[in-house]
Amino acid sequence: MNVPASDLAAIAPFAAAILVAAAILVVDFAFPGRKGPALAVAFAGLAVTAALVAIVGQTRTTAFDGAYLVDPLTTFLDLLFLSIVALTIAFAPDYLDERDLPVAEFAAVLVFAMSGAMLISGSGDLLVLFLGLELMVLPGYVLAGYHKSDGYSTEGAIKYFLLGSFSSAIFLFGLVFVWGSTGTTNIAAVAGALTQTLNAGALSPGLGMGLAFLTTGVAFKIAAVPFHYWTPDAYQGSPTPVTGYLSVGPKVGAFALIIRLFAGALIPLAADWNIMIMVLAALTMTLGNLVALTQDNVKRMLAYSSIAHTGYMLVGFAAFGAGQIRGLEGVLYYGAAYSFMNLGAFAVVAALQKRLGTSSNLSTFAGLIRREPTLALLMTLFMLSLTGIPPTAGFFGKFYVILAAVQAGGWLSALAVLAVVNAAAAAFYYLRVVVYMWMRDPATEAPVLTHGRLVWAGLAVATVMTIALGLLPGVMLDIVGKAAAAVG
Amino acid sequence: MTGSGLVSLVTFLPLLGAVVVAFVPSGRPDWARRLALAFALAAWVVSLAMLAGFNIHATGFQFIDQADWIPMFGIQYKVGVDGLSLVLVVLTTTLTWISILASFRPIQNRVKEYMVNFLVLEVGMTGVFVAQDLFLFYVFWELVLVPMYLIIGIWGGANRIYATIKFVLYTLVGSLLMLVAILATAYTYQAANGTWTGAFDLGNLTTAAAGGMFNGTFGFLAFGAFFLAFAIKVPMFPFHTWLPDAHTEAPTAGSVILAGVLLKLGGYGLIRFAVPLFPEAAQTWAPAIIVLSLIAIIYGAIVALVQPDLKRLVAYSSVSHMGFVTLGIFVFQQQALQGAILQMVNHGLITGALFLLVGVIYERTHDRTIAKMGGLGSRTPVYAAALGFFVFASVGLPGLSGFVGEFLTLLGTFQVNQGAAVVATFVMIFAAGYLLWMLQRVAFGELSEFLKGLGDHLTDVTPVEAMTLVPLGALVVILGLYPGLVLNLVGGSVDHALAAVQHVAPVALGLGQ
Repeated sequence: MNVPASDLAAIAPFAAAILVAAAILVVDFAFPGRKGPALAVAFAGLAVTAALVAIVGQTRTTAFDGAYLVDPLTTFLDLLFLSIVALTIAFAPDYLDERDLPVAEFAAVLVFAMSGAMLISGSGDLLVLFLGLELMVLPGYVLAGYHKSDGYSTEGAIKYFLLGSFSSAIFLFGLVFVWGSTGTTNIAAVAGALTQTLNAGALSPGLGMGLAFLTTGVAFKIAAVPFHYWTPDAYQGSPTPVTGYLSVGPKVGAFALIIRLFAGALIPLAADWNIMIMVLAALTMTLGNLVALTQDNVKRMLAYSSIAHTGYMLVGFAAFGAGQIRGLEGVLYYGAAYSFMNLGAFAVVAALQKRLGTSSNLSTFAGLIRREPTLALLMTLFMLSLTGIPPTAGFFGKFYVILAAVQAGGWLSALAVLAVVNAAAAAFYYLRVVVYMWMRDPATEAPVLTHGRLVWAGLAVATVMTIALGLLPGVMLDIVGKAAAAVG
Repeated sequence: MTGSGLVSLVTFLPLLGAVVVAFVPSGRPDWARRLALAFALAAWVVSLAMLAGFNIHATGFQFIDQADWIPMFGIQYKVGVDGLSLVLVVLTTTLTWISILASFRPIQNRVKEYMVNFLVLEVGMTGVFVAQDLFLFYVFWELVLVPMYLIIGIWGGANRIYATIKFVLYTLVGSLLMLVAILATAYTYQAANGTWTGAFDLGNLTTAAAGGMFNGTFGFLAFGAFFLAFAIKVPMFPFHTWLPDAHTEAPTAGSVILAGVLLKLGGYGLIRFAVPLFPEAAQTWAPAIIVLSLIAIIYGAIVALVQPDLKRLVAYSSVSHMGFVTLGIFVFQQQALQGAILQMVNHGLITGALFLLVGVIYERTHDRTIAKMGGLGSRTPVYAAALGFFVFASVGLPGLSGFVGEFLTLLGTFQVNQGAAVVATFVMIFAAGYLLWMLQRVAFGELSEFLKGLGDHLTDVTPVEAMTLVPLGALVVILGLYPGLVLNLVGGSVDHALAAVQHVAPVALGLGQ
């Protein structure tokens, strides 16, 4: 087989990610029971991978006959995945150590998942897309069940696995229909063939079936209502750092998939799928919020609220489907903003749950401002950002998505109004956490915990990004603008 | 950045103060108190300097500071003041230092955090009054919410958490819908001009609005969203139900700021944004708003009449008094609007003082039930005299400032809408009723058994308390005798706001178009 060097160069970041995961395992083998070397390798490896992403991303290329491509969208998403994984690895050791769970394997599995997400973001072919999806979600099942002596963790993992496999099969079935109708799996070629089909007449029944299956499949992956039932159990059962990862990593990955698939291959059918996206968006944000309102467990509340945030992102994507490139930029901006603020929030929950047996109930947060003022302040910031109070990342994300929806006009304006009504309702449950932290006295005196340097460093990054993306959005606007232009 | 930096200074000086106070060791609450007061006084001095340097004859905004913020959308950091903004900024800085001084003794718990919150609150309030960019305005508008939420929720009364969440949710629903309207307005501008440059700039948008850009169905809906946000803040009937709870549960200084400044944000927003941006829709909506204002005036007064709690009584009187403000704005008449603005200032001073006085008696008795009071005049004559003074000011005794504002509003209203003026005038009798009756029950007669039981705890007004009341009293007298101080300043703003709306005809009902 003769592979040109330029093709290898294009997939260098992806290859590097796999090598990093392997290296972590090797180092763990060489220094069993010590997390230091493994963590050092993980962070160094991620830094090298990030550098490679930046270098390779300088020029737009396609490799392997168009199966893999590098464009500004690939670069943006890869860097976002790298940040998510690096932050998750930083937040995890404190929590895992206390429960005697191995850190090195955790990091390795996570990096494998990341390589899958990177494959999605760079895929130019539907089969590569599917491979990336599976490579991303399989490690996710492992992570969800990582605390294997904990019944809830195992239960969550099984639910996640069953519904995840089920939805992957549905998704694959949809791909088959598209392949059957167009005769190709190359994304650009599919788009071309679909345009011709459309010019020839109406949507064929087979293609309509394919579209329905594909939408259902991805709706499962992003946990859109009514395909969200696996989420709360999987999120609540998983170890908290994993929950943080699951709420952003696979979600951003699935949105990468949506962008590559719907905005790339299926864009000629935008008029057909956009109605589904709009209905999904309306259901997802409303139901996610309504159920989050009634939760007394912060982890579960964040799980449901993550469903609601999926809805807001879908509003942006629907605006894109209606012809506003700004909607796609909004999805990307929101994805970045949500990743940092939500990881930050979960990091605080994980830090508080460091001691074995601490629940993630609201009562754990009572009087936190006296016990651990720094964590309470940061949690307040993340809650305000998730609510969408300016000047934070969450506010600007909402601003952008809503602006796109308003620009698209028509039914999307109504969707924008629904989104802000939802945001106001969400304030209730996010601020409840603030109420507990600031205004209630703790029922029992919990001891003050010490947190590792990695946790503080990770929190510092999440905090800076949450503020910077709200106060100085200019830089990120440029980046998402270029990234969105690559597909739009 | 271009500009003198004066407005930015008065806006962000308290933020600097908040940062400094945050670093005070928690064991030294006195440092936190004094530093916070020093920064609030400094901001006050800067605002007075602006007042001195303000050119009363020039039209438009002065002391403009400008810098690009998010160029992609033409969003700027742009602040400046005209007469209306300046008056309200001075009101804000004045009431802030008075409130901080008034918190010295009542707040003994988590003093540092309290002072930080108060200074951040001042940043938000001042920012709303000076912002010349809709995005910036929205950021400041929401910034006000967070510290007030914490002030009521941490330092408030027994039912504080219910009250503070109600306050936040009400406000947030309105302001988020306003956000959609802001974005839609900016986008309409961008679509018409093909550029985002200046799409969030208030001056540009107002000019475009005068050209009819935001007329029709769009204006009708967008005005509705703006109006809802501001009406909740004012608060207008029927969006007022958060107010009595928030006022009752807030600490004294929180109530002072709530009544003195936060409610003015709503009135200011109506005059500055809602009416000039959507003149046609404002005309269309005006009859309904006038009716709501009249209901607020009557309803607030009647409900105040039966309140057993001093603070709730003053809170409902706010609903009634602010009804005059919205009435004065939406009859679109020069004197009425001048009266409305004056009424905003007066209400800030007088109601602020009344809340301070309720706080003074609460400090001593830990009770606010009117029925338990009585005969305060015999034991605490200075207090009773001060209460009498501000009650008469609130009733609208000629010679004190409350009279001029209401009189001008009614005079202007009478010229365009006689029915409304008659109804509103009639209600002033109720106002005299509930306030004077309260004064009689609290200050006159025999000292009540409850107060007797307090013995020596029932002391008269302390010097620090007097220091918070005297400036307000002096301003009430000065503005009562010479209202021109405010009226001359805001004349230009009034003409500008009216020019936008007076020559526009209402549409039958915009939805069909």
